[in-house]
Amino acid sequence: MGLSMTTIIFVVVGVVASVLVRLCCNRGPSTNLFHLTLIITATVCCWMMWAIVYLAQLKPLLVPILSEGE
Amino acid sequence: MGDYRGLNVRRDRGGCCPPMDLMRSEAMQLVRIIVPVESAHLTLSYLGDLGLFQFKDLNADKSPFQRTYANQIKRCGEMARKLRLFREQMAKAGIAHSEMAMTQTRIDFDEMEIKLGELEAELIEVNSNNEKLQRSYNELLEYMLVLKKAGEFFYSAQSSATAQHREIEARQIGDGSIDSPLLLEQEMLTDPSKQVKLGFVSGLVPKEKAMAFERILFRATRGNMYLRQAAVDDPVIDPISGEKIAKNVFVVFYSGERAKTKILKICEAFGANRYPFTDDIGKQMQMISEVSGKITELKTTIDLGMLHRDNILKNISYQFEQWNNLVRTEKAIYHTLNMLSLDVTKKCLVAEGWSPVFATSQIQDALQRATYDSNSQVGSIFQVLHTKESPPTYFQTNKFTSAFQEIVDAYGIAKYQEANPGVYTIITFPFLFAVMFGDWGHGMCLLLATLMLIFREKKLSSQKLGDIMEMMFGGRYVIMMMALFSIYTGLIYNEFFSVPFEMFGRSAYACRDPSCRDATTDGLVKVREAYPFGVDPKWHGSRTELPFLNSLKMKMSILLGVAQMNLGIILSYFNAKFFSNSLNTWYQFIPQLIFLNSLFGYLSLLIIVKWCTGSQADLYHVMIYMFLSPTDDLGENQLFPGQKTLQLVLLLLALISVPWMLFPKPILLRKQHNERHQGQSYTVIHNTEESLEIEEDHDSHDHEEFEFSEVFVHQLIHTIEFVLGAVSNTASYLRLWALSLAHSELSSVFYEKVLLLAWGFNNIAILIIGIVVFVCATIGVLLVMETLSAFLHALRLHWVEFQNKFYEGDGYKFAPFSFALLADEED
Repeated sequence: MGLSMTTIIFVVVGVVASVLVRLCCNRGPSTNLFHLTLIITATVCCWMMWAIVYLAQLKPLLVPILSEGE
Repeated sequence: MGDYRGLNVRRDRGGCCPPMDLMRSEAMQLVRIIVPVESAHLTLSYLGDLGLFQFKDLNADKSPFQRTYANQIKRCGEMARKLRLFREQMAKAGIAHSEMAMTQTRIDFDEMEIKLGELEAELIEVNSNNEKLQRSYNELLEYMLVLKKAGEFFYSAQSSATAQHREIEARQIGDGSIDSPLLLEQEMLTDPSKQVKLGFVSGLVPKEKAMAFERILFRATRGNMYLRQAAVDDPVIDPISGEKIAKNVFVVFYSGERAKTKILKICEAFGANRYPFTDDIGKQMQMISEVSGKITELKTTIDLGMLHRDNILKNISYQFEQWNNLVRTEKAIYHTLNMLSLDVTKKCLVAEGWSPVFATSQIQDALQRATYDSNSQVGSIFQVLHTKESPPTYFQTNKFTSAFQEIVDAYGIAKYQEANPGVYTIITFPFLFAVMFGDWGHGMCLLLATLMLIFREKKLSSQKLGDIMEMMFGGRYVIMMMALFSIYTGLIYNEFFSVPFEMFGRSAYACRDPSCRDATTDGLVKVREAYPFGVDPKWHGSRTELPFLNSLKMKMSILLGVAQMNLGIILSYFNAKFFSNSLNTWYQFIPQLIFLNSLFGYLSLLIIVKWCTGSQADLYHVMIYMFLSPTDDLGENQLFPGQKTLQLVLLLLALISVPWMLFPKPILLRKQHNERHQGQSYTVIHNTEESLEIEEDHDSHDHEEFEFSEVFVHQLIHTIEFVLGAVSNTASYLRLWALSLAHSELSSVFYEKVLLLAWGFNNIAILIIGIVVFVCATIGVLLVMETLSAFLHALRLHWVEFQNKFYEGDGYKFAPFSFALLADEED
């Protein structure tokens, strides 16, 4: 599961969510744009968080050194 | 009905983007309504139901007493006072008023006034009668006590009193003649007519004053009195004060008229109530039975009186809410009517106010209905005015978005039609909270708590909740979003009450060899690809956990912070586009974007490159020496080829952008002002915020002086704030790291040092205590304190670091005349 694969998954989830929201609450163009903005923002935030944590672990400079008694 | 639209205030604004709900405040228009006097009251009533019109006070210079409807307001005030009296009485009698028994019969205002007056008079009369009866009842009770108690000790007291008196007399007489004491004794013994007749006073005195009472009596009568007291067991209700006081029954024996007057005065002074007592036993019995009879009679009468009063109050309680509402709305209507100015002909009232453009048809509809319902011959006139005044800000929010909008409004109400940060706050605020709170166990607890509030929404919204509960209930959707994002970040940080799980595949680290000898000295090795979702579970509890996580979280904070600040700057571009302010676009937005990104955007790039390449470059060193010695060779801190050249270019760009932000804008503003001033209005003016049609009156522009030094200083402050703020705001985002660290440390301490410790003892009692302590600590410290703390810091990041890139927030809120809002206000 590389970086690009999971990114595509995030994009797909975002698209599916916006389609679902458009289907369930279609209330005029300005409201639809508002819902779309919210979903895009949420998707971008969640993806950024995941990507940052993933990238930091790709080629780490440290390794876990277990503590005594484990 | 004449309705003609004047020029619309709004002009064709930046067609850059399609409209979005909540992004900009509703378009407002200044409206003048001319209403004939007979339909004014009904018109206002319908407009109040609608709740979309904010009236301007056209009589601001008049005092409250000079206004047209001052009398009506006085009437309403009187009725409100009567209603408050009823509410007090009902509360005292313990009758709750039924909520909202909305019998839809419209009550006539005048009738209600008369009815309220009658009820008040009746209630006052009943109350005073009850009081009188109660007082007599208490007096009779006291009398009964005196009769009973005094009867017990009266005779012994009387004989002692007589003996003492004789002694005193004997002493007085005996001083004189030594010769015939025997004779005298005999005389006294045999002479019945010389029998001492003592007078007595009986009554009740408060126990605490009893000692003082006795002392003063003794002094006043020079010891020539005999006092006997007996305590009453239960406290007695004093007829005058109505309170329960512990009292003593007393009987004072005295001789002589002077002593009597003194004693009476002393009794009055001490608040001792006197009651008559007869020494005749037969009469005593009679008195006792008489008094008992009167007592029972009075009791029945009093009970009947109370019942009558309760009935009155109950009848009031059925209609109380309705009356209350009616009085409140009438008062509001008259207050608003007072704001309208009376036309010269005295036949119609003129109202001016703000209303949203979309509400035009609704308002005209209401006006029409009012005309029809009041059988008026003349219709109302609805006229749109154009003005340079800044309109109020109005966002149409629903129950979900209103809480977020309130959070934004708490810092400052948006200027009319500027970009509303609330749109993004709905997502970024809970997200930043979650970055600081990340633990999916705690997130689930928070979610459960808020789901309980949401499912009982309808019931709770009609109840009256306490202050704290009110705040939590109002923010239930915010907390729900916070909880959902916390679950997500908890899964990423891999913390469930600080315990990691290996849920998303296998961990990337394993021992070097099967015996795991080196695990505690050299550590594990990376044998597989990076853990696919979140932080690898092997990190938790290791010795290098903190160095790794600290580095990760600090870099994450910088990346998130730079992203949010860039969003802020981009929103300022949208504002400039919307208000067609090209000066702001070219001489503020672009240099700001360049400055922030050439420094901190570059830092973010370096972070990502370092992660991707696994280089050991020291980023602090790189950034600092980029400024101190940009032409030096990078050596081992080189992350990619061409880095030195790129750094030089970026440094140059950053240096140019500072004067770019500072100088052009004031100079160009002055040039524009001069052009406008010289009447050369053929050149299309980019920077005006009013429509071209209003350019008719040039005179009004003259009083807009242009003080170049002021504008320049303003721009200087703005520039310095941005440049210094770029560094300080970016560093401010490190609080995301700090709070996240604190949360995870607290959580792991509670888990390891409480729960695991208690588990280690293998004793069920200690385990239970351990669990209880763990639960209390988690709820108290982590779920309440940490939530509030992360909430506060996320709020600060939004209010300061995000909003100071684009938000002006100096507007005022739309406050329409609405009956629904009145109800909230009073509570």
